Amino acid sequence: MKLKSDVNDNDLLRLMLAGDEDALSALYRRRQGSVYRFALQMSGSRSIAEDVTQEVFLFLMREGHVFDDSKGTVGAFLLGVARVHVRRRLRAEHRLEPLGDDSDDEDLFMQSATDVCPLEDLTRAETIESVRKAVLSLPPKYREVVVLCELQDVSYGETAEILGCAIGTVRSRLHRGRALLLAKLRPAEEVEETGAATVKSARCFA
Amino acid sequence: MNCQRFETVVSELARGQMMAAEQRTEALAHSDACDDCAARLGDEQMLTLGLQSLAAELESLEAPREIEAKLLAAFRARDVVVPIKKGSSSRYWLAAIAAMLLIAISVVVFRWSNRPADEPRQATQNGRQEQPQPKQDVSNKSNDQLAQNAEKPSVDDSLPQPSKPKRIRPVSLRRPNNAAVANHATKEIATDFIPLSYMSAVSLQQEGGQIIRVQVPRSALANFGLPVNMDRYNEKVKADVLYGVDGMARAIRFVQ
Repeated sequence: MKLKSDVNDNDLLRLMLAGDEDALSALYRRRQGSVYRFALQMSGSRSIAEDVTQEVFLFLMREGHVFDDSKGTVGAFLLGVARVHVRRRLRAEHRLEPLGDDSDDEDLFMQSATDVCPLEDLTRAETIESVRKAVLSLPPKYREVVVLCELQDVSYGETAEILGCAIGTVRSRLHRGRALLLAKLRPAEEVEETGAATVKSARCFA
Repeated sequence: MNCQRFETVVSELARGQMMAAEQRTEALAHSDACDDCAARLGDEQMLTLGLQSLAAELESLEAPREIEAKLLAAFRARDVVVPIKKGSSSRYWLAAIAAMLLIAISVVVFRWSNRPADEPRQATQNGRQEQPQPKQDVSNKSNDQLAQNAEKPSVDDSLPQPSKPKRIRPVSLRRPNNAAVANHATKEIATDFIPLSYMSAVSLQQEGGQIIRVQVPRSALANFGLPVNMDRYNEKVKADVLYGVDGMARAIRFVQ
């Protein structure tokens, strides 16, 4: 097993597909954390995250030969598979809003997740919980980008590979997702002033 | 920098992402001058801190150990692992064998359908022996024979048409040599060469020459005393024109 820790992901996958159990174990231990956390942050459910993690690696055992190292890394491939499984599970459990529906964005923008002002003291555990809830309440396409870029520290390029979109799309979704998070975390009294603040901001050309 | 441009970079600025030094300086200078943008930057920075705190809290989370045990058990049972190489290679072999069989069958069918034995069989069906095709080099023909041919074409229009028209290979207008024409002629029905009106039959005895395939109006058949189907009067008919070495057209034959 010690030897396997020095082998890169691609070789581990190849060995695993050839029937090497140690390779599977090494690859699982190396990549299960990011898959599990991604599924947990996307779904907010430990049971879904566990199921998705298991399904992702079962898929890898069955269909691992479809991985093409010229298109990305094994880690990105696993997160892409996890994304598909998470969406499937959430859709089945009616936890997911219709994909690509931006009409609800403005409503979400005006909602406030909490009555307290978490921006004043984000180090508190309650505030972290508020951020977690705010992330979970994002529309899926923004949530994916926020989870990957902000919480998983995945690069823009790798996020684009996972989501199958352009880097520019990742940037714009992240910008929009952060704006939605800010709106959710902003106190209710500030939300009422959002319109005026926007006008004021637009008039400032200093 | 103005507020609109600041808005496009504020997230990157708050997240500490790489950006041009000049752009960063301008953005920070703008936030110093604009209270709204300074507040906006403050919010973004607080959000970044919140997300970083959340990420740090979740960083240690891992999947339960029993998942690994289940996966390894499934792997040992081999009930999920598809023998990829074996399965795929046998599939490729099957496909290759099927392709080879198809090719072999196609070749056999093609050769059978184009075998030369078909020619005499068709001739006997018409109740008479098919006349041999005229030689392309007409220089050896006698004057009498040519004159006779001019009056009486060898193609008998009363003969029934073949039920299945023979496949006529597309030909270029200029025939390269006589051998090619002779080979071509075995697949077509043609009249004998008819001397053109301004040429005497004697002139056909000259050595050499060239045959050129052309299309002429069907009405031209009448000029040589051949019957014309009035229903197809406007259609064209193929013909071979014999040119002498001097470039003069000497004879023509009609091809079906």
